[in-house]
Amino acid sequence: MREALKASRRKVQWVDEPALVLAHEGDGEVFKLTLQAPQIAQMAAPGQFVMVKVGGVDPLLRRPFSLCEIRPEAGEITLIYRVVGRGTGILAEAPVGARLLTMGPLGYSFPDPAVGSGELLLVGGGLGIPPMVAAATAAVKAGRAVRAILGARSARYLAGAAELQALGVRVDLVTDDGTAGERGVVTGPLAAALERASVETGDTAGAGVSAEAEASAEVWACGPEGMLKAVGALAAQHGAPCFLSVERHMACGFGACIGCTVPKASGEGFFKACQDGPVFLAEEVTLGV
Amino acid sequence: MSSEVKVGVPALSTELCGVRFQNPVWTASGCFGYGREFAPIFPLSSLGAICVKGTAPTPWVGNSGTRVTETPGGMLNAIGLQNPGVDHFLNVDWPWLQEQGATVIVNIVGRTIDEYVEVARRLEGSGVAGLELNISCPNVKEGGIAFGTSLEGAQAVTAAVRAATSLPLLVKLSPNVTSIVDFAQAVEAAGADAVTLINTLVGMEIDINRKRPVLGNVVGGLSGPAVKPVALRMVWQVAGAVSIPVVGIGGIATWQDAVQFLLAGARAIQVGTACFYNPKAPVEIIEGLAAYMEREGVRSLDELIGAARPDFARIRSLPTGRRSTSASPFQTLGDAGALCDPVTGICEVPGATPAVPKAPSKATGEAADALRQWIKDSDRF
Repeated sequence: MREALKASRRKVQWVDEPALVLAHEGDGEVFKLTLQAPQIAQMAAPGQFVMVKVGGVDPLLRRPFSLCEIRPEAGEITLIYRVVGRGTGILAEAPVGARLLTMGPLGYSFPDPAVGSGELLLVGGGLGIPPMVAAATAAVKAGRAVRAILGARSARYLAGAAELQALGVRVDLVTDDGTAGERGVVTGPLAAALERASVETGDTAGAGVSAEAEASAEVWACGPEGMLKAVGALAAQHGAPCFLSVERHMACGFGACIGCTVPKASGEGFFKACQDGPVFLAEEVTLGV
Repeated sequence: MSSEVKVGVPALSTELCGVRFQNPVWTASGCFGYGREFAPIFPLSSLGAICVKGTAPTPWVGNSGTRVTETPGGMLNAIGLQNPGVDHFLNVDWPWLQEQGATVIVNIVGRTIDEYVEVARRLEGSGVAGLELNISCPNVKEGGIAFGTSLEGAQAVTAAVRAATSLPLLVKLSPNVTSIVDFAQAVEAAGADAVTLINTLVGMEIDINRKRPVLGNVVGGLSGPAVKPVALRMVWQVAGAVSIPVVGIGGIATWQDAVQFLLAGARAIQVGTACFYNPKAPVEIIEGLAAYMEREGVRSLDELIGAARPDFARIRSLPTGRRSTSASPFQTLGDAGALCDPVTGICEVPGATPAVPKAPSKATGEAADALRQWIKDSDRF
């Protein structure tokens, strides 16, 4: 099952297109950018990312952003980002009508939601929430039962949660400070959901779950590395296939620089986050933190 | 070696180490992998040459932790020469690169002199256009820069590889030395056919929130437009101090940058970091260079290479063929005979007459027509 899911992740030859800014709004820190990028929108799948050029020589490198929404018919994509440095600071000032050189879609997507079985648990932490919007959209379309478990420091950093709620999927919110949803972290509701899924399918949670057995639930996650590590461990305890989308510093985004390493769980050496991921089967990677 | 001219414009072709390259725009080692990521974007056969990723006798996994970070106008990397090894290159990458019609120079690395020699021996007779000896990588503990920052080490590894290969041998120099001219002259004396400069400048960044160095390797190599003036100055100095060709590299991102390096005396240039944020940079530079030559009425690259120099006449008179490798090329250090002005970097070589470059006349005839046609067709990229 895991191999079939892994094989259903999508990767295509990227293009570089001058994307038109159609809408750009934010609260000074977290922004949502809508781009007209017809070629990328046609090809993209949830979990893939784009590299956007801001400025000329300084800042020099493009910035990676995961796709929040993909609208192939309209030829549009949306990105949600937080201003964390000079690059995103300059990006935040891009007016409607501006053109941004955008390369994508890059990397492997999440699996095809039609391939897996059981409830699809989408776990998003902070800026890991936006890619879950595209993931949930595809899963709902495929007729899959979806639940989103979203966490952040505080209500302000739950960007993307509203889009998920608008899709009509069940959304559990947790925040560190209790400003939205329960006070806590995503592993709380995730553990409960995995328990429930095991009970419903007559599985007894714990060791000895056969990897060949029909999974009672499937987990896709994106967020801080510590969260990904905890989510991967929880999913493994319950025998649920788990795909993690990792974030790395990268110079190019398409495999040339070998900058974005993710250590392999077995054997020595590294995967490239951009080419072999960013979506990995949890047990194949060793995460830090 | 084959001295066949490949498809392209005669005016753009450049000869060095006895090999005629269809144009002077090469891609730099470590910035272009083995070409696979770029082949869908433009034909690899359109490049002057591809210097492939530093290749060792066995696979190297590279460094752990954060490997790249951005700096003003540049970036730092500490990849640590991750590479699949020479067998993988010969069995997998080289056959594929040949199918693409690419001209390939293999950048070779080793932890010891024997390892460099081993890679060179494995590549003998493979049909690659040349070897580029990497003695300047700042991100590995053994080999690399350890050879590139000691004159004796640089000479020893160059001489050993020279003795082991019949291929054109380029030596890629480190800028992290007091006088790069000394190193260029040392490797010339040890039998190098050409020098490539510069590799990255050693630098670092500290994360003020984590209060730790950003890079897992603590220090890394600085590259990108920020280093271009330093690289250009070093090419200028070295071109005046050696009789072998100079391949210029360091922050070249536009055709204007490339023209500057050619005018400084480089017979070819390499595009590195620019490939990361603008994958089409190499072909844009070829197009821009061709258009510039047409506008300026320059009929051949030889009119451009070194044209900004007071010793242009000497640069033009230098041999472009292979050096004889039969006689021992080893000379005493500092015996190259050049007297260099420490301020301007201009070197006087006995017997050379400094000359003011002659303004070229408007391009006419077949070469110019071919050039114009090529520019017209260049939207094929």
